[in-house]
Amino acid sequence: MKKPVISGDTITIPSSMEYLTDVDVFIEGILRGYGADESVIADIAISVSELVINAISHGNEALEDKMVDVSISRNGKNVTITITDQGCGFDPGEIADPLADENLLKEAGRGIFIVRSLMDKVEIDSVDDGTVITITKSLNN
Amino acid sequence: MRLSDREQDGVVILEPKGKIMGGPDASLLHDKLYEFIEQNKKKVVIDLAEVDWMNSTGLGILISGYTTLRNTDGELKLANVTEKIQSLLTITKLVTVFDAYESVDEAVKAFK
Repeated sequence: MKKPVISGDTITIPSSMEYLTDVDVFIEGILRGYGADESVIADIAISVSELVINAISHGNEALEDKMVDVSISRNGKNVTITITDQGCGFDPGEIADPLADENLLKEAGRGIFIVRSLMDKVEIDSVDDGTVITITKSLNN
Repeated sequence: MRLSDREQDGVVILEPKGKIMGGPDASLLHDKLYEFIEQNKKKVVIDLAEVDWMNSTGLGILISGYTTLRNTDGELKLANVTEKIQSLLTITKLVTVFDAYESVDEAVKAFK
């Protein structure tokens, strides 16, 4: 059975929710090394968890032989994290508005909205053989 | 996430601690909430004082509990909402859905 693998500033996990904590520990540890404050760490950790959950459940359809890569880097005061899955891609334009009255009490569907709210920049590159989402946040926020 | 529970004046108090991010941990809160609902204990306060943060999975669990209790003449209230979670409730407009109190005592009193 595959396990999480850490290589430099990247963690690669099989598509199972049981590895969410591994990703969180990895990302938060690096952010503390960067000297980020707790509020910024929480915003990034929340966003990464949202995107990894989407990559596992929607992108890779929870197939454990498909992997999710999470890479982190720092450029000056900005932290950039890239989440890559091996799914079939999706159309960001088809995500329903979670603030609409008819969606307000739905149990799911807020992930990308929350990420866009917490991060300074979100880039989604979704094609037929996978989705790459890159998020950027200033350490000074 | 860790979870403890107790009762105060006939009200169930659920006390999650740590992060509510999904996966096996998050089902703890979901399962415990539904365990009390099945026991017909339908006045519930979730004390969020020691929750570092939650994501949309955590919000989904709160909504599920809120709607299930409301549909069975019960009620879910929140207490000690931290700044980070309050921010999430605000940006998702869920602040308009949940009754939130500054302490567990205040939340329990609000049931009377």
